[in-house]
Amino acid sequence: MKNGIIYADNAATTKLDIDAFEAMKRFLLEEYGNPSAKYSFSRSSSKVIKEARYKISECIGAEANEIYFTSGGTEGDNWILKSMQYHDVNKKHIITSCIEHHAILESCHFLEEHGFTVTYLPVNKFGQVESEALKKAIRQDTVLVSIMLANNEVGTIQNIAALTNVAHAHDIFFHTDAVQAVGHIPVDVNRLGVDFLTASAHKFNGCKGTGFVYIRDGVTTSSLLTGGVQEKRKRAGTENVAGIVAMSVALENNCKNMDRNIEHTNEVVSVFLNKLSNKGIDYIRNGAEVSLPGVVSVSFRNAEGEMLMHRLDLKKIYVSTGAACNSKQTVGSHVLKAMQIKPEYINGTIRVSLGKYNNTDEAVIIADAIADILK
Amino acid sequence: MKNRCVSCGIENLSKDTIGINKKLLGTEFENFFCIVCLAEYLDVTDEELEEKIEEFREQGCTLFK
Repeated sequence: MKNGIIYADNAATTKLDIDAFEAMKRFLLEEYGNPSAKYSFSRSSSKVIKEARYKISECIGAEANEIYFTSGGTEGDNWILKSMQYHDVNKKHIITSCIEHHAILESCHFLEEHGFTVTYLPVNKFGQVESEALKKAIRQDTVLVSIMLANNEVGTIQNIAALTNVAHAHDIFFHTDAVQAVGHIPVDVNRLGVDFLTASAHKFNGCKGTGFVYIRDGVTTSSLLTGGVQEKRKRAGTENVAGIVAMSVALENNCKNMDRNIEHTNEVVSVFLNKLSNKGIDYIRNGAEVSLPGVVSVSFRNAEGEMLMHRLDLKKIYVSTGAACNSKQTVGSHVLKAMQIKPEYINGTIRVSLGKYNNTDEAVIIADAIADILK
Repeated sequence: MKNRCVSCGIENLSKDTIGINKKLLGTEFENFFCIVCLAEYLDVTDEELEEKIEEFREQGCTLFK
């Protein structure tokens, strides 16, 4: 417990890696030149972007020229999906899943309003998209399949390699929203076989407002943002130099220490779940056996997830809920609905997402607090 | 009675007070506390509950005025 709080919402955002913080400071306070400027003061900004691009590409098995810096996951997802409008006028069908992040789902809705049709694949009870379902959904005019690598709510990891094989057998592009996965599990674009991949720095201890998109060499895309020559004219706008530096350091650190981080996080999760069980709490864990380390979606029988989240908030324990209250009603999670979680459990869902900075003492405190609230 | 604190008996609980009860005790909860008794029950301060009410109001939750 640091500063009297327990932060257990690492799937929402993460604390900045201290090395990343130290590395970025220089480019905010001392070497703050615009990397596009032609004078010597900007040379270090330009050089460090090049280095960051290389470091990041190494972390995901890509080439440096396949990495494009963005402002984060939402921009990356919007960019790739909306660029399909300009690919082939005769191909206006996209396949995605019904458990994607809203950055994908709303981009799909946008495309539907602009003449596209979209197939939303169902998932099984573990939140997995099945290859057979993808095969059946493919049409002559399918241009893109976009399936997330790991789900943000339940942590389920998809078998992307199998799905890309299906798509590529029909000459269809494949995009994966890997925002939750990069920096937490091994990600290799060649093993996955994807053409596009989206990542966001603040999910892996980098800064908010920074991310990147991987675009396989030889695959062409249009630009989402125009007005500058940055990122090979694919993404205009002065680069967030400090953020890019922080992102590369954070990703490098997380990849270097991945085995240790996974082992540690798994131990924290195990202590948390064991403690809940020992307290006799009636709960189910949602998601697949193969899921992101640290992401625990738990549903408590006949409980209210939103109530739990706010009560934990009063104890300075920060988790998220599977349902969000809009102005009129509590709206259940589209992911949990798609997974057909039993009705007596679905409303009692919270997501506890533990990370490298959490420890087993915190896991015990969280479980005790939940038990205390539910008693 | 819905409009009376189950602990101290104070009457005419406001919409906000009933709203914060529902948010923190559950929507099925029928017996409400006044702010002071709710704070005591949850082991928090009145101010913390007032902050929560303000937060919910800003989010546009219709349980609050």
